Amino acid sequence: MTNTWYLYLFFSAGLVFAGLYALLSKRNLIRLFIAIEVISKGVSLLLLATGFAKGNVLVAQALVVTFIVVEVSLVATALAIIINIYRHTKSLDVRKLARLKG
Amino acid sequence: MIVQTALLIGMVLFSVLAIFLKDLIRAAISLAVASLLLGIIFFRMGASYAGVFEISVVAGLITVLFILTIALTNTGEEVRESRLANVVFPLFFAVFVVIDALVMKGLLQKIPALPSGPETGTFGEVLWKGRTLDLVGQIAVILAGVFSVLALFRKRDKHD
Repeated sequence: MTNTWYLYLFFSAGLVFAGLYALLSKRNLIRLFIAIEVISKGVSLLLLATGFAKGNVLVAQALVVTFIVVEVSLVATALAIIINIYRHTKSLDVRKLARLKG
Repeated sequence: MIVQTALLIGMVLFSVLAIFLKDLIRAAISLAVASLLLGIIFFRMGASYAGVFEISVVAGLITVLFILTIALTNTGEEVRESRLANVVFPLFFAVFVVIDALVMKGLLQKIPALPSGPETGTFGEVLWKGRTLDLVGQIAVILAGVFSVLALFRKRDKHD
């Protein structure tokens, strides 16, 4: 069972790394948000894989379902904020948000 | 095991594509494909409810929201991304994969596992009896999301 667990955790760490790299290097707001989605995929894989390896799939599944609901709420709010930012600055560039003048 | 590994590799591949594809619509669709593959992985682990949620909500609803936002904010001006970051990524990723392969197994052995008995009952029983507070929290989170979207898109008063 440890081998399977190792395999899943190996890939979920890869997903989290790719997402973090994109968060640090990209400038488009929507792309940054796609990176956050990738990280959340890695985390949900980690949750379920650990439950699977330890013989607690049902509890892990309940946690993953909760996580997905929270994720959807987060996505809706964040995309609404992104649309509002676009209306204000006419751009999706994250560097333009550094200007304090409104 | 081979199918599972292929699915995992496909998922990581599509996620990386979602981050690095230039066209945002294509990036959103790659993200949906990655979610679909993750849903299939969940099914194969025996977590059918999580799989259904992953495919219907994440691959379906979130992709629609992304494409809607991309369509609403698409007026031609491209955001300039640094090219160096795209070029250097494979190198960094390869280094990370090597470190991951070397370190992860040792880390897993160090994590202490809490003793837990074998699970009984169905998913419904675990969710409704064991994690009732989570469900209340979920309702609160959904309501918070709805109210925040309403607040962000409210019409401006004439005085503003």
